[in-house]
Amino acid sequence: MAADFEPRIVGFLCRWCSYPGADLAGTSRIRYSPSLHIIRVPCSGRVDPLLVLKAFQDGADGVMVLGCHPGDCHYVEGNYHARRRYALMHRLLEYVGIEKDRLLVEWVSAAEGGRFAQMTTEFADQVRELGPRGGTQVDRAD
Amino acid sequence: MIEQIRDKARELLESKQISCFIGYERGTRGKTHPAFIYNPQEVGRLVWDESCTHNLTVYLHQFKNPVKRGEPPPRVGILLKPCDTRSLNVLFHEKQIDRARVYVVGLACEGVKGNGRLAGRCQRCSERLPLVYDLLLGEKPEPTGREDYAEVADLEAMSPKERLAFWAREFERCIRCYACRQACPACYCFECVAEQLDPPWMGIAIDLSQKQFFHVMRAYHLAGRCAGCNACEEACPMEIPLSLLNRKIAKELEALFGYKVGQDAITPPPLATFKKEEEVPL
Amino acid sequence: MKAMSRDRLLAWLEELAGRSTLIGPRIVGEKILYKPVHHSAEIVLDFAKTDLSAKEYFLPSTEAILSVKREKKGFDVEEPSLHGRQIIFGLRPCDARALRVLDALFLNKEPADPYYAERREKTTLIGLACREMGDECFCTSLGLAPDEANDVDLMLTEMAGEYAIRAVTAKGKALLGAAVLQEVEGVPPNPFVRQKQVPILEVGKWPERFDSPFWAHLSDRCLSCRLCTYVCPTCRCFDIRDVELSDKEIERLRAWDSCMAEGYRRIAGGHNPRPAKAERLRNRFYCKFCYYPQDFGPVACVGCGRCIAQCPVNVDAVEVLEGLSAL
Repeated sequence: MAADFEPRIVGFLCRWCSYPGADLAGTSRIRYSPSLHIIRVPCSGRVDPLLVLKAFQDGADGVMVLGCHPGDCHYVEGNYHARRRYALMHRLLEYVGIEKDRLLVEWVSAAEGGRFAQMTTEFADQVRELGPRGGTQVDRAD
Repeated sequence: MIEQIRDKARELLESKQISCFIGYERGTRGKTHPAFIYNPQEVGRLVWDESCTHNLTVYLHQFKNPVKRGEPPPRVGILLKPCDTRSLNVLFHEKQIDRARVYVVGLACEGVKGNGRLAGRCQRCSERLPLVYDLLLGEKPEPTGREDYAEVADLEAMSPKERLAFWAREFERCIRCYACRQACPACYCFECVAEQLDPPWMGIAIDLSQKQFFHVMRAYHLAGRCAGCNACEEACPMEIPLSLLNRKIAKELEALFGYKVGQDAITPPPLATFKKEEEVPL
Repeated sequence: MKAMSRDRLLAWLEELAGRSTLIGPRIVGEKILYKPVHHSAEIVLDFAKTDLSAKEYFLPSTEAILSVKREKKGFDVEEPSLHGRQIIFGLRPCDARALRVLDALFLNKEPADPYYAERREKTTLIGLACREMGDECFCTSLGLAPDEANDVDLMLTEMAGEYAIRAVTAKGKALLGAAVLQEVEGVPPNPFVRQKQVPILEVGKWPERFDSPFWAHLSDRCLSCRLCTYVCPTCRCFDIRDVELSDKEIERLRAWDSCMAEGYRRIAGGHNPRPAKAERLRNRFYCKFCYYPQDFGPVACVGCGRCIAQCPVNVDAVEVLEGLSAL
């Protein structure tokens, strides 16, 4: 793959833990991969797998879903649901030809700015290795 | 057995316990199709044999509303095979169908045939007896099947590129007719996300990326709810092996959570619930 | 009769595939479909009927009819156009007649549909006569014949291992060009035709059957999927939506839609004139056999029987037509 391929990564970050964690990385001036486009959602439990698949459909090479640590969800149980959903989604994506390493689901607290930055940069490197998603060609009558 | 079915249907209709009996009848060109008997004199139309492949549970959705305002919804009788009763349990659990509004004639089943061959799901069937019924007809046949997810494993053994190519080849043929969705008893959303245009999640284009998106998401939305009745695959005009998606999900849910679909009307599907302390390997 | 041997035919088709877009019957998975052909080996000659019609090549299931790009100096508006010419080989007479049915709306009614018109004009049709009527076919009840040649540019008929070939139009003659043909004795055999006709009620007899309970009972088993309308060569409803490709480009897409869909006729505000399956199923038959001939001339059905063969719950158009005429 081209060395200058810059992956496009979409991240769904929850408003209470992982997004402030990303914010902390920013205010602490910790550098992390600029490939990440963040979408803030109320809770990781709100991230319907439809959104993840749509992100891949629309050109994302990698997707991150970051939530609060299990037990710390602001809405009590959202991340428990997310945990189960993404266990299944990983396996289903792999099965239909999207490598499971293109989807990262992790728990990041508001205090873990450094960890967020490191995770993001490592993930971007991983996706860069995998290459562009390529995916399906749109077959349109022309 | 057919006489017992007809007798029961006649009895239920004559005593007005039900307003309609849903079963199977002979159609044109040697085909069998779903039958709706409203008149007790017409129970002779009902048939039961290995050509009765349809999952009739899907028709219960059209009897959910009262015929006249102020009345309760109609009560119907229905003929179900073991696989069909699994989808009925899912609908009971989801409170879509009221148990009191259905009289189930459950049939012991040796399998149905398509194109002269025993259907794939029947070869793998270990159920053989219906899981919910008001009347059970037939003797339990010898269980001959076991779901070992063999074809799923074949696909899992391919490389990611091969898998991508496999699914692209299959979904290329799809015409987005939604026959799979309409035949499915568990797909009952008033407005399917595939037809939402504001925002256009899947748009209107009948192109490969949207078709793949639709099928993968439909399979995901059926996770833990798909009974494996194969109505989708049988309805598909392009013979796309849709069950390979559903069986993969069923395999993972069994491995991760020990879950088998439709065994009763109480156990929630795994994605509708959680355990606080659990290791779910991502 | 002028004819070509099977080998010569395939060689000629191979040559055509090199010059133009050649579309012919191909095996795709378990199905036989009209698809672009690059080598004659891909063509299947022994088939009854394709599983989908050739409608796709005149009214594509999805096409971009407009694209708008934001440039530095304003907007660039482009209407995509068909490049080069296309040739459809192996078109059955029913599918060819279906194009005439679509012409009545898309070409003969003002304003003509420019996208359809362009495809129609740039396409040459090579017909292939049927040897026999299929079990579900009823073309003869609609005034058609399995070897009808009037709707194609070139007509091929099998006879004793050869393919008799006849130019029907100037376009067909031009395509045939200098292709080498043999002279063969005799005429092609008549196709096997079933004698039993399906009663097709005339337009005037349909209104009185509108309120019959016949429709409610028939539609009980209908799943309201759209399979019948998509496999049908004359069904033609579509939807148009703009798609935002980026913040600088939008595309206007036209895609097949179906009157059998529950929300097809729902209007802004939420009212749906056809909320019940029975109403939609009835409408489909009325559209084909009453409204379309009333408005445009031909009956919008060519008796190909694909809807009968493919309907998952055996809603049989012939059974419906017979049942209606008995009312």
